[in-house]
Amino acid sequence: MYVKMAPPADLNRNTEWFTYPGVWTTYILILFFSWLIVLSITNCTPGMAWTIVNLGHFAVTYHFFHWKKGTPFGDDQGMYNRLTWWEQIDNGKQLTRNRKFLTVVPLVLYLIASHTTDYQHPMLFLNTVAVLILVIAKFPNMHKVRIFGINGDQ
Amino acid sequence: MITIPYLTALTTYFSYGLLFAFGQLRDFFRKTVDWWSHSTLQGYAPICLGLEDFYIRRLYLRIQDCFNRPISSPPDAWFDVVERVSKDNNKTLNRTTRVQRCLNLGSYNYLGFAAADEYCTPRVIETLKKFSASTCSTRVDGGTTTLHAELEECVANFVGKPAAIVFGMGYATNSAILPVLIGKGGLIISDSLNHNSIVNGARGSGATVRVFQHNTPSHLEKVLREQIAEGQPRTHRPWKKIMVLVEGIYSMEGELCKLPEIVSICKKYKAYVYLDEAHSIGAIGKTGRGVCELLGVDTADVDILMGTFTKSFGSCGGYIAGSKELIQYLKYTCPAHLYATSISPPAAQQIISALEVILGEDGSSRGAQKLARIRENSNFFRSELHKMGFEVLGDNDSPVMPIMLYNPAKIPAFSRECLKRNVAVVTVAFPATPLLLARARICISASHSREDLIKALEVISSVGDMVGIKYFPAEPKKQQLEEANRVKLE
Repeated sequence: MYVKMAPPADLNRNTEWFTYPGVWTTYILILFFSWLIVLSITNCTPGMAWTIVNLGHFAVTYHFFHWKKGTPFGDDQGMYNRLTWWEQIDNGKQLTRNRKFLTVVPLVLYLIASHTTDYQHPMLFLNTVAVLILVIAKFPNMHKVRIFGINGDQ
Repeated sequence: MITIPYLTALTTYFSYGLLFAFGQLRDFFRKTVDWWSHSTLQGYAPICLGLEDFYIRRLYLRIQDCFNRPISSPPDAWFDVVERVSKDNNKTLNRTTRVQRCLNLGSYNYLGFAAADEYCTPRVIETLKKFSASTCSTRVDGGTTTLHAELEECVANFVGKPAAIVFGMGYATNSAILPVLIGKGGLIISDSLNHNSIVNGARGSGATVRVFQHNTPSHLEKVLREQIAEGQPRTHRPWKKIMVLVEGIYSMEGELCKLPEIVSICKKYKAYVYLDEAHSIGAIGKTGRGVCELLGVDTADVDILMGTFTKSFGSCGGYIAGSKELIQYLKYTCPAHLYATSISPPAAQQIISALEVILGEDGSSRGAQKLARIRENSNFFRSELHKMGFEVLGDNDSPVMPIMLYNPAKIPAFSRECLKRNVAVVTVAFPATPLLLARARICISASHSREDLIKALEVISSVGDMVGIKYFPAEPKKQQLEEANRVKLE
């Protein structure tokens, strides 16, 4: 099965890879396989495994999407050094398909995690905190906002 | 349009994700270890801020031995590649004295002028004795010799424009000319896959830069209409000048520019066309005059023709060809003309002699033979690779053929396995190409004989099987089927 791909017009090499076919599928598959791996390694219930995946996903995506600024290569001369990855994708345009997809994924994970743990106490609190932080960070109004100067420029 | 098998796209993302994760893990440990050790440089700012050098340290250095290979002979069809060893897992490489004789599939040697030529080399040596190796001066001070004037005339006649100006370096031609031609208040629309020299020149000019989707004339028209309607960024005044920058052959894709459509769109909206023929001059077209000849575009319609002498003429330097007024203006204003050293006289003589060979003015038909041979070689090689099932980009007649690899692990695998079998290929990865689309780029030369190409095909086929890059089904050998049918009928 083949997919066609035209070279993208996005000049920011840090974010242009997200416009290719197959990225969404890979993201979902990575989450699913990490759930399977967590289940195989630890001796816990499926619900607990989903909670662990949710919290791990929160840590990883918050760090790479909303904390780390700039790009991993030097030849764009620091043009994006004040922007996090989330603020860079789609050239800063809000509410594109990619952004909507990335906002929906933590919500779906939250629903799955809370449902499979039967909404019990410690897991529900942690999951809610995770999803709240992630979704609020992705709001269009939060573009380039640094609350209390956290993660601001030096 | 590139066709990727879906599973390959998924595995490529996964591989890059894994490489990225391992790189971050190693960085984390390095930071922890370094926190304990005391740094001798107190109070100095770090050279690289944050993640800037992450790609180089954690991805590029791991496969460093596939790039930057030193050679120790002229880049002819067969050349000597110096072997290197590394004692610390590719972080540093040391040259040895051993060399390996390899088939050259990476040099831009389209017409075979890179090695000693029977017509050009004696003349170049004579010029070296007469004029010495360097003019030691800029063009305006004392660096214009009779050779330079002759060269500019030859180039202008060859390309089909009234006048030309020649510089010592091809990259500097683009990056020094664009700021002179257009400035603040102008609009540059450049193809999304343009070479770094053009991007640099466009950025340095101060004009507003917009990008159109690679080789898509309809998107160019859309961008033009949008920008002309909006005008300059905040004042919305009309643009002072609009220039569209395209290349003849895109060196990473091997495909030709859709020049007739682009020129007609630019004429309609009154924009200037700047054509960079670095890879196409001398290599395509019936008499080697480049992409305008091949596609049937009148050179008077293209406003500025730029090219380099490194690829088809075996020399160095670049040229700009245009109207007499334009070239006169450039001679007063271009910094590469006023302040940079002029092109070296033996190099200029090499170009003049190569042009004479191509045009047949040396009294033999070697030029026409070379042009015919490179066309034959390119078409033969490309069709054979297609039959074997590789994904090869590029149009017919183009001597540049990228073979798609996609997965990051296949890049060093392909490169190293080919080197073991004495074939030297150039592999290109991120960031010169988009992330997913890593490729091995093959440049065919007129000095490759049929046996060389067949050997290269055998090696590439066996390495391709080993590495797994035959993404398309191979075509069955038609001759064997026909013979089998004939035997059955009898």
